[in-house]
Amino acid sequence: MSPSPSSLSRRTFLTATGAVGAAALTACSDLTPGASSSEKSSSGPVSTAIPADEKITLVVADADDTTMTPGLIAAFRKKHPNITVKRNYTGWDDYLKSINTTMSADSAPDIAQFTSGMQNLVPGRLLLKVGEYGKAYGWAEKFPGLDQITLTPDGKTVGTGDLYGVGAGLSFEGVYYNKAKAQKLGLTVPPATLDELEALFVKAKAAGETALVAGNLDGGLNHPFNVLLSAYLTPKDREAWAYGHQSATIVLPEAEKAAETLKRWVDEGYVTPKVNGVSDNDATAAFAKGEGVFRISGNWAAAAVAEGLGEGAGYFNMPPVTSGGKVRTTGAGVYYCVSSKSKNAAAVAAFLDFTAGAEAAAITAKAGFMAPDAGAMPSQSGLLGDVQQGWQTVVKDAGLQPFIQNSSSPTMGDTLTTQLQLLAGDKVTAEKFLAGLQTDFENYHK
Amino acid sequence: MTTADRLTGPAPAPGAQSPAERAAGSTVRKRPRPARSGRRRRRAVALLYLLPALLPYTLFAVLPLLHTAYLSLFDWDGVTLPSFVGLDNYGRIVTDPQLRAAAWHAGALILFFSVLPICLGLVSAAIVSRRAGRRGTTLVRTVLFLPQVIPLVAVGILWRWVYAEDGTLNQALRAIGLGGLTDAWLGSFTWALPAVGLIGSWVVSGLCMVLFLSGTQRIDPEIYEAARMDGAGPVREFMAITVPLLRPEFAVALSITVIAALSSFDLIYITTGGGPGNSTVVPGILIYRLAFGGGAVGVASALAIVLTVVISLAVLVINRLSREAP
Repeated sequence: MSPSPSSLSRRTFLTATGAVGAAALTACSDLTPGASSSEKSSSGPVSTAIPADEKITLVVADADDTTMTPGLIAAFRKKHPNITVKRNYTGWDDYLKSINTTMSADSAPDIAQFTSGMQNLVPGRLLLKVGEYGKAYGWAEKFPGLDQITLTPDGKTVGTGDLYGVGAGLSFEGVYYNKAKAQKLGLTVPPATLDELEALFVKAKAAGETALVAGNLDGGLNHPFNVLLSAYLTPKDREAWAYGHQSATIVLPEAEKAAETLKRWVDEGYVTPKVNGVSDNDATAAFAKGEGVFRISGNWAAAAVAEGLGEGAGYFNMPPVTSGGKVRTTGAGVYYCVSSKSKNAAAVAAFLDFTAGAEAAAITAKAGFMAPDAGAMPSQSGLLGDVQQGWQTVVKDAGLQPFIQNSSSPTMGDTLTTQLQLLAGDKVTAEKFLAGLQTDFENYHK
Repeated sequence: MTTADRLTGPAPAPGAQSPAERAAGSTVRKRPRPARSGRRRRRAVALLYLLPALLPYTLFAVLPLLHTAYLSLFDWDGVTLPSFVGLDNYGRIVTDPQLRAAAWHAGALILFFSVLPICLGLVSAAIVSRRAGRRGTTLVRTVLFLPQVIPLVAVGILWRWVYAEDGTLNQALRAIGLGGLTDAWLGSFTWALPAVGLIGSWVVSGLCMVLFLSGTQRIDPEIYEAARMDGAGPVREFMAITVPLLRPEFAVALSITVIAALSSFDLIYITTGGGPGNSTVVPGILIYRLAFGGGAVGVASALAIVLTVVISLAVLVINRLSREAP
């Protein structure tokens, strides 16, 4: 009998695999998940002084595709020559999916743009509590919207608990319109109520125009839906749900009214036809090219719209339900948080504080965001000026509310997109749509 | 005698000696190398040759797979400390309606990634091989194979434009007077899955054709000649000779394409992201959503393991079936 080559090689292979595997397993003692999440997360004694003679390097990770973050970094470096700031930019989608891993690494960036899904870093003690710095610098007076980055120790509820960062540039949503077409169709803007806005849609539709330009391939109908919710829901209900408070619910008559309004807009043909097949970016591009009459989007779209429509671009705030009511809208912004692994917390805090200053306000405003120091923003003309004026009303009415998908649950972004596509595709009723959102909420907050 | 020897069969050569004998220095004469120690050395040498491939394979394929299986037993958000839940994650997979939908979609994709491309590849291979050597066949072959060369992400972006409301497909429909049929294909609950599936067909068909083409070159031309003598036309030739004799290529094509269908992710992620609603959600998309967005690493790992097992079983069945004599 001759030795069988196949059994020989198989045996050799198995032995070798086993040996290599065992060696590698012994080498990696870190295979237990979450084994290294025992960092300190309190800042301890703090001071607002920055060591001036020491060479310091800070790393900033962000998904900010405007000129704000790079502009702020450049200005900060100029002011503090001994501090080098390196920037790691990642595109939005990839940033959302990778930032938790990045922040868990030993080489975590000092500063990171805070996004939805990063709540998990709080119980993992990977974010630094910056409340002490906030007190030392007086951030409560300098930054609006700090509640959006204040979290409970389990990271599941926003608005109460410890402060984890600051909002350097804020964004909010409103209604853009095509001035030339509004004039041609005899539309009076701005409408005083939501009903009046819908009456304008009816007129535009009757004239053969797309009244509301939108794209829902990637869930862009969340913009109209969020602002409709802002108008209909009480701020208390809205924030409780958007911030993921225990036992909060979105199955409310007011929310149903918002969902029904949106569904009616789609069903009646006010919204871009076959909206589920158009991406949100393409919708902005089409509107900027002159398609349709109205578009509900954020101030981040202002630059593109102004470039496309020029003098013909107009803006007004989303009207309230009843005439003369307070203006409420949806917004977020670029928030920066701090890694608990940062070795230069004092320098990081100085950077966060720098973003509230007058010098930063010019950079922030130029990038199309609303600066924390609203008074220091250079006045602008045209569309950007209109948007800025709208912002002042929003601030006066304390009407800035969080997006419902950002901190209610980590999966809400995907769920909202799915449900909005079902709603726009006439596959679910407004009632079932809200129930779908609530199911996701309860799966997380059980 | 060692276990290894029992497995490989005893082959004591004349003059074989135990290590003790050798150590005692009883061998002085020069003589043929003892076969047993030679085999052992050959085995060691073989191992050494295997090592460069084995090491990365173990580190980057076997270990991560084992680690994924291990993680599937935990409830873990990816950051904080996990808790052991045993097989609960697998229980969730079986009962989740969304996952059942994803499984159906993956099944439907087999139609577009396997059945359709194999049929198309077969026909185009038959046509191209009959015209071998004539002008233009190389060009046709290259053009048909081209989609295989383009990165899938680029393919996805390209087809998003094709399928858009004012994209090439709708423009073409309008040009030939079928404007009433136009749709925003990727946003349609009815058409999104077939639309994405057809992109897959487009990508894979060229690969199938090249596979079958190499197969037809292996078939003895005399068989064709004999068939022609008996009065067989091109169609008869194709059905009676080409198709049956391409059995091994069928197995390879089917394995590759079924794997591509069941593990599809990038194409769908780029084109629809699983939408509209859940109408194009596949297991790959769910794994990605659960692990990276949803903070449910345990469930995602369990799903990944189940998917791996299913794909392995499918490939195993395909290979078993193709090995049987026709």
